[in-house]
Amino acid sequence: MNMVEKILARKSGQQSVTPGDVVLADIDLMLMHDLSANFVMKVFENEMEGASIADPSKLVFAFDHNFAPATRDAAEALAAVRRFAKKHKVKNLFDSGCGSIHHVVMEAGLVTPGMIVIGCDSHSPIYGAIGAFGTGVGNNSMAALGFTQNKGWFKVPETIKIHFHGTPMATVQPRDISQFLVGKLGEDGAIYKALEYAGPYIESLDVNDRALFPLQAIDVGGKCGFVNPDEKTLRHVRQLFGARASAPEFELLPNDPDCRYADIIDIDVSRIEPQVACPPTVGNVKPIDAVVGTPINVAEAGGSTGGRLSDIRALARCLANRRIHPDVRLQVVPASRDIYLAALKEGLFETLHLAGANIFPPSAGSNQAFNMGALAEDEVMISTQARNFPGRNGHPKARHFLASALTVAASALAGKITDPRTLEVQ
Amino acid sequence: MSQTIAEKILAAKAGLDRVTPGQIVDAYPDLVMSHTATWRSVSVMKKIGAKHLYDPNRLAIVLDHISPAKTEKYASDQQTSRNFAREYGIEKFYDVDAGIAHLVLMENGHVKPGDLIVGTDSHCTIYGALGALGSGIGYTEVASVWVTGKLWMKVPTTIKLILNGRFAPGVSAKDLMLHLIGTLGADGCGYKSVEFDGSALPEMSISERMTMANLAMEMGSKCVFIPPDEKTREWLLPRLKDPASYRPVVADQNAVYEQSIEIDLSKLTPMIACPHQVENTKPIAEVMGTRIDQAFLGSCANGKYEDLVVAANILAGRKIDPRVRLIVTPGSKQIMLEAMRSGVLATLIESGALVTNPGCGACAGDGGTMADGEVSLSTANRNFVGRMGSNKSSIYLSSPATLAASALKGVIADPREFF
Repeated sequence: MNMVEKILARKSGQQSVTPGDVVLADIDLMLMHDLSANFVMKVFENEMEGASIADPSKLVFAFDHNFAPATRDAAEALAAVRRFAKKHKVKNLFDSGCGSIHHVVMEAGLVTPGMIVIGCDSHSPIYGAIGAFGTGVGNNSMAALGFTQNKGWFKVPETIKIHFHGTPMATVQPRDISQFLVGKLGEDGAIYKALEYAGPYIESLDVNDRALFPLQAIDVGGKCGFVNPDEKTLRHVRQLFGARASAPEFELLPNDPDCRYADIIDIDVSRIEPQVACPPTVGNVKPIDAVVGTPINVAEAGGSTGGRLSDIRALARCLANRRIHPDVRLQVVPASRDIYLAALKEGLFETLHLAGANIFPPSAGSNQAFNMGALAEDEVMISTQARNFPGRNGHPKARHFLASALTVAASALAGKITDPRTLEVQ
Repeated sequence: MSQTIAEKILAAKAGLDRVTPGQIVDAYPDLVMSHTATWRSVSVMKKIGAKHLYDPNRLAIVLDHISPAKTEKYASDQQTSRNFAREYGIEKFYDVDAGIAHLVLMENGHVKPGDLIVGTDSHCTIYGALGALGSGIGYTEVASVWVTGKLWMKVPTTIKLILNGRFAPGVSAKDLMLHLIGTLGADGCGYKSVEFDGSALPEMSISERMTMANLAMEMGSKCVFIPPDEKTREWLLPRLKDPASYRPVVADQNAVYEQSIEIDLSKLTPMIACPHQVENTKPIAEVMGTRIDQAFLGSCANGKYEDLVVAANILAGRKIDPRVRLIVTPGSKQIMLEAMRSGVLATLIESGALVTNPGCGACAGDGGTMADGEVSLSTANRNFVGRMGSNKSSIYLSSPATLAASALKGVIADPREFF
C-alpha cells in the first residue's frame, strides 16, 4: 500500500484497502474558512434539527477571505460563525487577520502525519505535503457526516506517480513546475486520483515548496496529492511543535516499496520555462513567451499559493532599490501572522514599500475579492493566487494571470507580463 | 480695519483688500481636493459639457475611501478617476495605496499657511492645522471649481478658543475636542471660523493640531485655524517644493471675534462620544466598563504616526482582550513606513492587532464593518447610525490612548492608569 491507502485503511479499521474500495473513515480534522463555515453552519442548523457535534475539538474555523469585513452582510456572516463556535464549544476559531486557512492550520501544528483532514475548500489536499490525507468536501457532507459522526466515506483512489527530475533554471520556481504539471495533465487529467509527487526534484524541496504540488492537485481533478513522507517531513512537523509542552504522537506512514500505480509520468524540470495560467481557467497554462508584454494594472503576491515568506523574499530580492511601474498597483499579502511579523522584522516590507508595494493584512488577499482585488472591465491582474476564473475578481471580462512570485515581481517592474529570466536579481 | 485669519484669506483669494463677515465673495481656491468621489465630479463635468480645467495644477486627487476596490463598480469608478487624472495631466494624483487625502496632501507639501483649499470631504477643516482655510464642498461644486476656478463663499464670523494649561497624563487633543463638541454642540460653531489661541498652543504638536482642526468640523465650523508658528514652519519647510512660498497669515491684533472661550486643559479628563452623535459626549467615568467587540485605530482624526505611537506604548508587551478585534489603519503610506521602521507596527501586531493597508479604512465603512448589536470603539471623528455597518450596531469615539487601554481590557477603560 502507499501512504494514502495506509491512512484510509487505518482510519477505517482495516488491515488493507485497494483502489476502488469504499471505506467509512474517521476524520481527524475538519476545516472551514469564513465563507464555508457560514454555509456549513446553516446546513447544520436549518436542515439537521436536533443534531449535535460529535467532537468540537476536530473543527477548525479560519476567517481568511474577510480580513476586515467590507459589508454588513459579511460582518453578519462572521458574527454568526463566532456565535456558532461559542455555542458549540469550537475552540479553534482563527479570526480575521490570521492568514490563509491552510497556512494557519499548518503553522498551528494541528495536522500530523497519518491524519485524515477534510476541508470545505478545494485546496485541502495540501496536507499531503506533511504525510496526511487531505481532501475537499462539500458543505452538506461536512455538516451531515463530519459534524455529527466524525466520519467521511471515501472510495480509495488509484494513484498516479509524477516523477520529477533534473535541476530547474535559476528563475524557475516550484510554482512554475506545479503549474506546468496542471497544464500538462489538464483540468480533468487525474479525476479522483491520488497524485504522488516524487523524484529527486521533489525530494530536494523544503516542505513549504513541496506543499504547492498537492495544493494544486484539485486543478487536475485529483482527490488528493502527497509526497511520500521522509526525514524532511518529520523534521518539519516536529519543528511546528517546537515550543509546545506536549507534542502529539504520530507515525509516518510511508509507501511500501512495492506499491502499484495507475500511471507513472516522468517530468524533466530542467526544460521547464516560467509558466503562466492564463484566463479563463487554471488549466490554461502557457510558457511565459506566449503572454509576455501583456499590460497589467495589478500585481499581487498572496493567497494560499503565494504570500509565503519565500515568496515575499523573492519579491524583495527583485524589487530592492527599484520602483514598480507607475501604472501598476502591487499588493503583498502575507499568508499568516507569523509570516507578516517575520517579513516585517527582516525589513522585507520596508524594501517592498519603498519599491511602491502596498502591504495587506494576512489573509486570502484578492481571492474572490472580499476586502480587495476587484477589477474593472478592461483591467488585468497577475498574481500568485490559485484561481483566475472570470468574475472571481470583479468584472467578468477582467483578466487574471497566475504565476510565480518572481514573474509577478518582474511584471510589476515592467508594467507588463515579463519573463523573470530577463531580470537581474540582486 | 483689523481682520481674522479667515477674513484675510478670503479677501486675498477674492482679490479684495478686506472683507467683512456676511459678505459674499468669489474666491479662487489654491487647491481643490477630491477623493474617491472624484468620478462623480468627472461625470458632472461631462454632463455640463465642460472640457477644460481652469488650472490642472490646482487639482489634487487621492483615492482614499474604499481602497483598494472591493467590487467591480468601485474598481471601475476608480479607473474613471485615474483616467481623468491621466488625461488632464493632474500631477497631484495619489492612487489607492497613498492613504487618507488630508494627510497625504499635508505630508506632501500641498498645503501651506494662507491657502484656500476646498474638497469633497467635510473634514477639509483639517488644513487649518497648518494655517490654511480648508472647507468641505459637494462633488458638483468641485466640478464647477475645476472648470471656473472660483467658488462663492460667505465670509464667516470667527470664534476664538483660548487654550491654557497642560493636559494631564493620558489626556490628549482628542479629549479636548470631544469636550468642546459636547459643550458647544454639533451646531455650536455653525458656519463660523474657529481660531485657536492661548498659551498651550506652542506646545502642541502638528499631529495634535491636525486632530483639533479635523474634529472642530463636528461643531459645524466652516473652517478652523491653528495660527502658524515655529512648529508649523519646522514641519512644513522640508515638505514644501518652494520654501519661499511659506508666508504665515495670522489675525490682526484688534480683529473682531464673535465670542472668546477659555479652556483650561489641565481640568480635562478622557472623554467618550457615545452613540449616535459626536456631541453626545461623556467623561470616561460614566461609560467605563462598556463592552466592545471591535477597536478601530485610524482615520484622519487619529490615524497619524503619533497616534500609533501612543497606542503602541500602552500595548507594548501586552495582549489585547481575546473578545476584541483591534484594527489599525495607518493614515498614509509615510505613516506606515515610519511605523515599520520604528518597530511600532511590530509592537501593535504582537499585541494582537490587525494592521491594514493605509487609507480611510473602517471609518468610511471600508472594512471593519459591524454586525447587528456589535459595539465599536473608534478613534475616528463620527459615530452616526450605520456608519460602520449595521444600523443596529453602535460606535463610541475616543482618543488613541483610551482605545488602546480599552482593547486590553475588552471594555471601555480609563487610559490614565497606563501613564
